[in-house]
Amino acid sequence: MTWAETLLAALKRADISLIAYVPDISIYQATKLMEDDPYFHVVAATREEEAIGVAVGAYAVGRRSAVFMQSSGLGNCINAIASLCLPCRTPIPFFVNLRGELGEFNIAQVAMGRASKPILDVLGLPHYTLTTVDGLDTILNGALDLCYASRQPVALCMTPLLHRGSLA
Amino acid sequence: MVLENVGNRPIVSNLGPTTDELWHSGHRDRNFYTWGSMGLCSSIALGMALSTEEQVISLDGDGSLLMNLGAIATVGREKPKNLIVIVWDNEEWGQTGHQSSHTAMGTDLERVAQGCGISRTATVSSEEQLETALREALASPGPWFIVAKIEETDHLPYAPIEPEMTLYRFRATFPRASSNPLTEPWLQKPESS
Repeated sequence: MTWAETLLAALKRADISLIAYVPDISIYQATKLMEDDPYFHVVAATREEEAIGVAVGAYAVGRRSAVFMQSSGLGNCINAIASLCLPCRTPIPFFVNLRGELGEFNIAQVAMGRASKPILDVLGLPHYTLTTVDGLDTILNGALDLCYASRQPVALCMTPLLHRGSLA
Repeated sequence: MVLENVGNRPIVSNLGPTTDELWHSGHRDRNFYTWGSMGLCSSIALGMALSTEEQVISLDGDGSLLMNLGAIATVGREKPKNLIVIVWDNEEWGQTGHQSSHTAMGTDLERVAQGCGISRTATVSSEEQLETALREALASPGPWFIVAKIEETDHLPYAPIEPEMTLYRFRATFPRASSNPLTEPWLQKPESS
C-alpha cells in the first residue's frame, strides 16, 4: 500500500470518519482519497482553529474525528488546542505536515516548521514523525490507540521523506 | 425562553456571559459550555450537526463570531439542515470594558450569513421576535442564522464549569458514543445496572 492508503486504513481501524482540514498540496494524495471515499466526511475549514472546533464538535456527539494541517496552521490554532482540546481532554489526532524540512524553498515556512515540535512538547502532546511507509501502520495504529487511551491529542508529523509531495 | 423551546436538543454556548447565563437558566447534561477557544462556538456546533441527526443550537456572540467569521462561510458551504445559530449581538465586548464591536460600526452579521449562502436568516430585537424565529427554525430545515440584538446587562456569577466533566456529561447522552463498547469502553455501564 502507499503511505496514503496506509493512512486511510489506520483512520478506518480507529473508527475516525470526520476529517476537518485546510487544504495542503503536499498531502493531496491522502486528502483526495478521503474525499473520494464515502466513509469519510471531509470538512474544508477556512482556518485551522475552525477545523479544531469542528473536530471537537463531532467528537462531542460520539463521532471520532481528525484534523489535517500544515505546520503553519498549527501556529494558527495553538490556543484552540490549549483552551479547548486540553481542558476538555478530546482525543483528536492532528496530522501536521511539517514545512521547513528537506527541500523547503520558502523562508517564510522555516521558523514555524522548526517550532512545531517544541510547541507540541510544551503543550505536553506526544508526537511522532512519519518518514517512510515501512512500519507506518505500526506507528499510526499505536499513536491512535494512545490518543484514545490517554484522551488527549496526539500529533503525527508528516515530512517530505514520507509523502514526496510538492510544496506550496 | 430558549431552554423552554428547545427540549432536549444539544446546545453549545459561547464562553463568558452566555455560558454563565445558560448554566444559571437551567443546567442540563446537553449544555456544552465553552470556557475558552473564543470564536469556536459555532464551529463546534457545526461539527456536532454534521455528526448527529438531532438539531443543534449554537448560542454565539458578536465578539466571538467576529473572531472567526470563516465559521459562517463553512456553515454556508456544508449547509447542515439541523444547525441553528443564534448570535447574541450586544454590539460590544461586554466583558472587557464595553468597547464597541464591529456590529456597532456597520457590520451586519445577518447579511454576512446571507452572503455565505445561508438563506434562512433573521434579525430580532425582542424576546417575542426571538421566540417566533426560534420556533420557526426548530420546525423547518436550516441551517438557520438568527441575530438577536440585545442590551448589555449586569453579569451573572461565573458558572462552575469543569470542561472535562462538561464533555463527558454531554457526550454520554449520545447513543453513538455510549453504545460502542469497542471505542468507548469508559461510557459503558455494568450489565447488572
